[in-house]
Amino acid sequence: MALDKYQEFVEALEALDDEMRFEYILDLAREHKDDPFPEEAMTQENLMHGCQSRVWILHDADGGRHYFRGHSDGAIVNGLVHMMTESFSGLTSEEIAALDLDHVRRLNLGALTTQRQVGMMAMLKHIQKLSRQAEAA
Amino acid sequence: MSTAQTIDKAAVEQPYDVEAVRADFPILHHPVYGKPLVFLDSAASAQKPRQVIEAVSRMYETEYANVHRGLYYLSDRATTAFEAARETVRRLLNAASEREIVFTRNGTEAINLVAQTWGRESLKPGDEILVTELEHHANIVPWQMLCRQTGATLKVARIEDDGRLDLESFQSQLSERTKLAAFAHMSNVLGTVLPIEEMIAMARAVGATTLIDGCQGVIHNRVDVRALGCDFYVITGHKLYGPSGIGALYGREALLEAMPPYQGGGEMIETVSFEGSTWAELPHKFEAGTPAIAQAVGLAAAIDYLERLGIERVAAHEAELLNHATQRLSAIEGLQIVGTAPGKASVLSLHADFAHANDIGLILDREGVAVRTGNHCAQPLMARLGLTATARASLACYNSHDDVEALAAALEKVKAKLG
Repeated sequence: MALDKYQEFVEALEALDDEMRFEYILDLAREHKDDPFPEEAMTQENLMHGCQSRVWILHDADGGRHYFRGHSDGAIVNGLVHMMTESFSGLTSEEIAALDLDHVRRLNLGALTTQRQVGMMAMLKHIQKLSRQAEAA
Repeated sequence: MSTAQTIDKAAVEQPYDVEAVRADFPILHHPVYGKPLVFLDSAASAQKPRQVIEAVSRMYETEYANVHRGLYYLSDRATTAFEAARETVRRLLNAASEREIVFTRNGTEAINLVAQTWGRESLKPGDEILVTELEHHANIVPWQMLCRQTGATLKVARIEDDGRLDLESFQSQLSERTKLAAFAHMSNVLGTVLPIEEMIAMARAVGATTLIDGCQGVIHNRVDVRALGCDFYVITGHKLYGPSGIGALYGREALLEAMPPYQGGGEMIETVSFEGSTWAELPHKFEAGTPAIAQAVGLAAAIDYLERLGIERVAAHEAELLNHATQRLSAIEGLQIVGTAPGKASVLSLHADFAHANDIGLILDREGVAVRTGNHCAQPLMARLGLTATARASLACYNSHDDVEALAAALEKVKAKLG
């Protein structure tokens, strides 16, 4: 499974203490300041429901692989969105369908609350739904 | 009642000892992430003093059985304690009789009870229900459901930008079509204390029935339903330092008497046969099934506790903290306090131009500071204010000036990280 990016995040988080994990997650979103999420994509249609912060996710498919891009109006959630979309981009439909709570748990590592984990799980379910819809279309 | 008043009077003469109050709340002494807990989310649910925890434990250890059922010793003890709890709620609200106090699961259930019994019987197409823009969903959605069922219309009184009620808007929407005016005593988001005496008088002048959502208001204000002249007043236990799973509805006896039962089952009946059943006396007519017995006893212990501290003294302490917090937080550039109505109480809703409310909540959490973030079950109000979320700090009897300083320091940290 092409989970290299995911593995990189997991290893980085494991090496950091709580305080630094926070900074790391905030930096993930900051890294993309030069390539901001397109404002015209912040639509009701791309909005993911069930989050306290607003989260938009875009999906693209190419050569049987799925690619995601996302954004949130909250800085920390934005970092988590980047971590999730980058972790799980470039996978096949089967690989995406096989992702589960354990994958989320390892990304959630310490720094964040249970409620965040619920939010990240919802994000994974959303990504899985988008890839299924693309498959069916 | 006279005893409680005497104690209150004696207590008022002594300075408020917040450290002694804090010592009564065991949870405040358990650190989070190795830091002292700064609990500023009491408007969502308050922490419980030892006196409440012990009253619930004592009930289960020494006098628990089902109520109103058995002839035996324990059942009698439990029934006596449960009905004494009802009398304590009556005293808190100064209702005329304990027949006017119905135990419910929470404030939401109390409002739904009124909607589905009094409302279903009383409303018809063309009738109107008047609420305000600052209501909690619990005081909006049950009325929307009722409107769908009966063909009545929901009207909304406006608020000003600072969070105070636009009394003219309220007055102008009252007419002979208004069958019910339902409004909060105090806003859970803005801290606004509504001029409920005037509002009740205005509503009564057009013949409307009145329901006050007192879930926040009763904690910070002395309530006298007879002096107010309202028809219904709703409270919940868990915000009042009591257990969750218990709330109460005050209803004027004549109204409750005329209303049909809410749910059917045991306890609420007088006789049952397959030809038909007859209803029990007030208030049991509205309490189908086994009630929250130990929780009611816990609620009474919480009310006793608050009255011993003195509701007015606690309110004065909270006002002092609110003043301190307002000054301290106003000095943080880019941070705005949402809701600045004169006379507001104990709630600070915060909006920052340097951080999303959720970022504030998450970073504060790591500092041991617990605040609520989001729309606070008041989406129409948030839309009115043009916001999607705020971070809300709410103050209670156990909060201190140190808590205010910890909040301010944590917010400065948020600004340093994200600003």
